Amino acid sequence: MDLLLHLCIVVAIYTVFALSLNVEVGYTGLFNFGHVAFFAIGAYTSALLTLAGVPFAWAFVAALFLAGLCGFLLSIPALKLQGDYFGIATLGFGEILRMIFNNEVWLTKGPMGLPGIPRPEFFGIVFDTLPLYLALSAGFALATFAILSFIILSPFGRALKAVRDDETAAEILGKNAYAFKIKSFVIGSVFAGLAGVLWAHYATFISPGDFTLTETILVLLIVVMGGKGTLTGPVVGAVTLIFFQESVRFLRLPPEWTRLLGPLQQMIFGLLLVILMVFRPEGIVREKGGARVD
Amino acid sequence: MDSFSYYSQTVLNGILAGCIYALFAMGLTLIYGVLNFVNFAHGELIMWGAYFLFLFMGEPFGLPLYFAILPALLLTGCLGLAMEYSVFRPIRKANRLTLLIAAMGISVFLRNAAQFFWGAEVRTYGLEVMPGTRFIGLYLTMQQFAIIGVTILCVAGVYLLFFKSRLGKSMRALSDNLDLARISGIDTKRAILAAWVISAVLAGIGGILMALDTNLNPEMGVVNLIKAFAATLIGGVGNLWGALIGGLLIGLAENIGVLFISPGYKDGIAFVIMVLILLARPYVILGERSD
Amino acid sequence: MKKGGRALIEIRNLTKAFGGTRAVSDCSISLEGLTISGLIGPNGSGKTTLFNLITGLLKPDSGEIRFLGNRIDGRLPHDMAALGLIRTFQLSRVFPRMTVLENMLLAPQAQTGESILSLWFRLAKIKREEAENLERALETLDLLGLTRLKDQFAENLSYGQQKLLELGRALMAKPKMILLDEPTAGINPTLIRTMIDTILKMRGRGQVFFIIEHNMDVVIEVCEKVFVLDHGEKIAEGRPEEIQKDPRVIEAYLGL
Repeated sequence: MDLLLHLCIVVAIYTVFALSLNVEVGYTGLFNFGHVAFFAIGAYTSALLTLAGVPFAWAFVAALFLAGLCGFLLSIPALKLQGDYFGIATLGFGEILRMIFNNEVWLTKGPMGLPGIPRPEFFGIVFDTLPLYLALSAGFALATFAILSFIILSPFGRALKAVRDDETAAEILGKNAYAFKIKSFVIGSVFAGLAGVLWAHYATFISPGDFTLTETILVLLIVVMGGKGTLTGPVVGAVTLIFFQESVRFLRLPPEWTRLLGPLQQMIFGLLLVILMVFRPEGIVREKGGARVD
Repeated sequence: MDSFSYYSQTVLNGILAGCIYALFAMGLTLIYGVLNFVNFAHGELIMWGAYFLFLFMGEPFGLPLYFAILPALLLTGCLGLAMEYSVFRPIRKANRLTLLIAAMGISVFLRNAAQFFWGAEVRTYGLEVMPGTRFIGLYLTMQQFAIIGVTILCVAGVYLLFFKSRLGKSMRALSDNLDLARISGIDTKRAILAAWVISAVLAGIGGILMALDTNLNPEMGVVNLIKAFAATLIGGVGNLWGALIGGLLIGLAENIGVLFISPGYKDGIAFVIMVLILLARPYVILGERSD
Repeated sequence: MKKGGRALIEIRNLTKAFGGTRAVSDCSISLEGLTISGLIGPNGSGKTTLFNLITGLLKPDSGEIRFLGNRIDGRLPHDMAALGLIRTFQLSRVFPRMTVLENMLLAPQAQTGESILSLWFRLAKIKREEAENLERALETLDLLGLTRLKDQFAENLSYGQQKLLELGRALMAKPKMILLDEPTAGINPTLIRTMIDTILKMRGRGQVFFIIEHNMDVVIEVCEKVFVLDHGEKIAEGRPEEIQKDPRVIEAYLGL
């Protein structure tokens, strides 16, 4: 039972994380390969502030704000790059951020990580049991889904899709592509920060090793496999992949296997990405409007 | 050591690192020029190049260094070709995001495959440090001599191949305009394959040199991909000589930079340079056609 | 159609070179009092380059472009649209992974719902705008014969249908002027008819066009005045029938 609750909590957190990436990758066509950075900023900000005694609600707000601000500051130079080059710039940002977490020991305790992150407390309720935490994270996941869907389905979301499909044509129709991309990136960053906060207070321990490229790949795979550019795709992807990943973790395997299990699982993820791209780039959930008429 | 030779040693180290980055960047920019996309798995060619050598020098082959290099580079070239045949050719006409994610997938697969076979730990080739020499007051190991010599050979080779041979001519035509090259009767298939082999072999050579000078681990690909990218950005995307200069500049900046900041941030210097270059650039809308 | 003596578009001594060759060379054109003007010339004569300069996709080397009296050369493309200049492309550029209707609804300018802040505070106004735009979009699609395809991805349309959609999209923006880059090239005669009829109908409503066109029948049918470019220079201007007889134009086309 506890295992199931744990699974659902992790699914909820990764749903938020994947939904945020989908705004960028699926709806704006931004190849963000450093998305984990904003997850990490959310996690570290909230963890550090609550450990310093700041109430959770304030730490929460600060974490989301900081994630958004960093997204804004990064996007100004990085979005001057097109496509793949933007991808490398974000990848680089992810790596550099981890470098900062590792090196600024006075603040982050470096590779040792931050233990004892308190459980969140909202309106006098301490979310310190699995069912309560599930309620909290599922609530946030639902809210994220609702808010992001509302944005995507609005004229604003429509303009994002236009920028994704053909930037020049969008400009010719009066859409400031650069500005729309920056806004999309900031929205994605804020919600990645939210996922990070939920993660930090669930795990109660974070270290720079939790925020590697591997995490970005996992969340990218969730979006791509579920169906990028669809509302429900990331949810479907999160359920499928997290169940797979977390159940492997609970298999009773001989210890000499576990050393190989991590890389093996990553190899499978990498292969899945390639196979999806070659054979079914649209993922599980298809976008509407795809049926061909003769 | 007096301060003059201390600083000149720093500059020398920068040039050494820069030579290796230049090899990475030239391969990356070559594929970009010909196929117009950034090969995210380029870092893994670097890393596997180094590990292939490790493979041939260890059991069951046990080849000495000089004999192991050739098969290692051969396999790296084949790995490049395998990427092209199995993934990039089938999806050549797909959109950019598809290409990129596929490249990312290859990179994840190869990185973890290396970890699966050899573990995540840092390794060396277990060679004894070859005695070095003093050279105008600077100390150079044999490995470091090799780095400079091999880089010069590679650059000369690339120059001859790219600017003096028929194959190079078709590759250049390809980077100007793929469709135009195709209709003007250039064997595009052969030129693309050649570009993959050259790019992979340059990556392999760079990876081996780097591992000889320092060490090897499965993460070395990603870090160096970012540096190679920063180098191509300095030199102008798709420009081979630009990549060479860019690589050298990154190497110098890193080694001089650590005189002023914590060595923990050494790998971040390339990224900062990249951001500075970008900040100075105006926003351009690409994808323009004109008649 | 006089607009207080101010030409809608006034181009003076415009020059743009790529490398050594001048794509547009010391070109002066005034579209005063015209509803539909044509731009013709042999391939590579600089017509599309001129459009790219007018819509801000390229910056001129020298010369000036005025729109309703204001300098617009060197400004960004999205500013041009806001000013009331919309264009289509020679090879149609619809948004492939958006439905036909979404393509249409995107075009209206200054939409309240495109501001991320207004989204939360001015919902009623946004809904009203959307409803109005939807009505207009459906009307226009009907005119273009694309109604039954409205929920299809634009990439599923035939090439000709995509060009019609591009025209419809341009109309949705309610621009002061639409620049059409070879609207009838490469599409079948039925769709050419739809295209021309739509253009003529919109002319009736006072919509101003500037059209690059190769098909002389189309030019004669719709254009009031034609400008001829050759090697980036304007070599002639006048009524379509006159232009056809102009020896300089014949020479340019025959390459003598």
